[in-house]
Amino acid sequence: MAGRAVESDLAPDVGRLREEHKKVVKGCEGQIEHWRKVEKDYDSLQERLKTLPDQLSYDIMVPFGPLAFMPGKLVHTNEVTVLLGDNWFAKCSAKQADNIVEHRKKHVKRTLDDLHKVVKNFEDRASFTDDLDRVSGSKGDYVDIREEVLNDEALTKGKRRVAHKPHSKPKMDYVVALEEAEEDEEEEEEEDKEEKVRVTEGEDRDGGKGVVTEEDLWAQLDALEAQEEQLDERDRMCDLTDTNGEDTSSSSEEEKEREGTGQTNDSPKEDHATSDIHGSQLNGVLHTHPEEEEGKEEEEGEEDPNALPTIYFSHTVEPKKVRINTGKNTMLKFSERKEQKEQAKNKKKKNGKANGHSRHDQHHKITTPADIYRLFVDVVNGELIPRKSILKSRSRENSVCSDTSESSAADFEERRSALGRTLSHDDATHSDTSDCVTEEDSPPGIPLHSGSRFEAFSGTVVEKDPLPSSIPHLTIAPPALPTILERKSEELCTEAPQEPPKRVSKFKAARLQQK
Amino acid sequence: MAEAIQKKLQSEVEKYQMIQKDLSKSMSARQKLEAQLTENNIVKEELDLLDSQNIVYKLIGPVLVKQDPDEAKATVAKRLEYINGEIQRHENLLKELERKSDQHREVLTSLQQEYQRAQGLAVGKV
Repeated sequence: MAGRAVESDLAPDVGRLREEHKKVVKGCEGQIEHWRKVEKDYDSLQERLKTLPDQLSYDIMVPFGPLAFMPGKLVHTNEVTVLLGDNWFAKCSAKQADNIVEHRKKHVKRTLDDLHKVVKNFEDRASFTDDLDRVSGSKGDYVDIREEVLNDEALTKGKRRVAHKPHSKPKMDYVVALEEAEEDEEEEEEEDKEEKVRVTEGEDRDGGKGVVTEEDLWAQLDALEAQEEQLDERDRMCDLTDTNGEDTSSSSEEEKEREGTGQTNDSPKEDHATSDIHGSQLNGVLHTHPEEEEGKEEEEGEEDPNALPTIYFSHTVEPKKVRINTGKNTMLKFSERKEQKEQAKNKKKKNGKANGHSRHDQHHKITTPADIYRLFVDVVNGELIPRKSILKSRSRENSVCSDTSESSAADFEERRSALGRTLSHDDATHSDTSDCVTEEDSPPGIPLHSGSRFEAFSGTVVEKDPLPSSIPHLTIAPPALPTILERKSEELCTEAPQEPPKRVSKFKAARLQQK
Repeated sequence: MAEAIQKKLQSEVEKYQMIQKDLSKSMSARQKLEAQLTENNIVKEELDLLDSQNIVYKLIGPVLVKQDPDEAKATVAKRLEYINGEIQRHENLLKELERKSDQHREVLTSLQQEYQRAQGLAVGKV
């Protein structure tokens, strides 16, 4: 299509160019005609000047007005007055006049040569444009190049990456602070995550390039294993969701886990456009409820994409599965009070939307880790809680998570470095995956990703706004927050805004614990 | 918003058209000068072909005024000098005008984009 469009755009331009060329050539030919006539006149003049002095006098008919002639005599046959130009005249002999005519003819000849050159030049140009038009019209080579250009436009990915980096950098500070608290928990999770990462990498590679390397094979195997686990997990999840009503005492742990899960969840979404769509759909569902949770969830999704660009994605995605299996129980349990309330709300909202989405997710299942996640959610939908818990965990995490998720990513990296020693495969795969992801993004189905990512960016921006609002509240009334949160959570049971309390719960919980 | 941009765009377009007019005017003046230059060059060369016994006239109004050949040559030389100076001046003028028109063209394109964006936004809002 693009190529055709270019051609259609090109055709009129080429036609116009050719027209202009023809115009110039025509003008030059007119001038040449004129100068040829001048030359001929000079030729005859020269002839006359040469024969004029042959006789002393000539009998001629002298023009007398416009209508009549009268007989006369031409004398002084060797004496002529020449107009030199610019109103200069000179009286000279026929011989000198002949010389002047000769000189004039030289000039005329020069002008004619110049005009001929111009004509030839423009004729060449016209023929070249004809060739160009013909070649571009008949052959597809040019069209292909143009298509590549279009792809580049879609590829804004590079820009996205750049944009992501800036976001990630600021987050790192938060991450550092969070990392210390999270490290203990995260370390345990890391192992699981690494496994997941392999899976995700395999998936990414499969979807993107199909380049087969040892790492890829390992990743694929891991992915298959992960799928099996997921299926098992789904079954478990249903059970787990039922058991979710555990203590809030583990709030700090829960938060950390949530962060991790949030990252994982986000990463899959980012990886696949479909996943993004789901996220957007979920977000849209959440939006129906005007609470911060929605904003948080969106923020997380967006933020994750920002961080996702390369490395984080794969790692986070797989861990999600593992975490979900092992961690979900804990996650769900920890967050049970809030989550349950939120879940109940979210479920109400999400179930309708998520169910529709879940179909899509199921279709996508194999392609992306995110899909798996969705699948989980979908499967859970019968029981609903697991998904919601996951989403909620994201949203909750989001409150802290925008920062924490990234921090967790940093933690993950640290973990990787530590784990990498034991798991050389994972590191290699990670690096490879990061590269692969970038490369993959650019060539095939990338355009969708890019679009989704862009959306994610915009969404991230939106997310930032909600966070600050929530944060100030926390800072302003730290002691009161817990109670407020509880109230909110209670209220939230009917409503969706439990997330803010969760955020508060993390910081505040830490503060409260310290106090 | 869109209207303000449109007004700005219109005034810019008018300015741009003025510059284009000036540009074409000085261009044609330059072409005339070029023609005069070639003509005077020919006169100078042909005066050189003549010798001292030839009588040179200058057509002033309806009468031919006799001129001294040497004086005529000097006059033509001065005339050539003047024409060359004029051509130089027009050359600079042309450069300046082209620079201005380029600037205006850039402004116009940016304004056009802005206007289109504003229009798109307005449509989106509607």
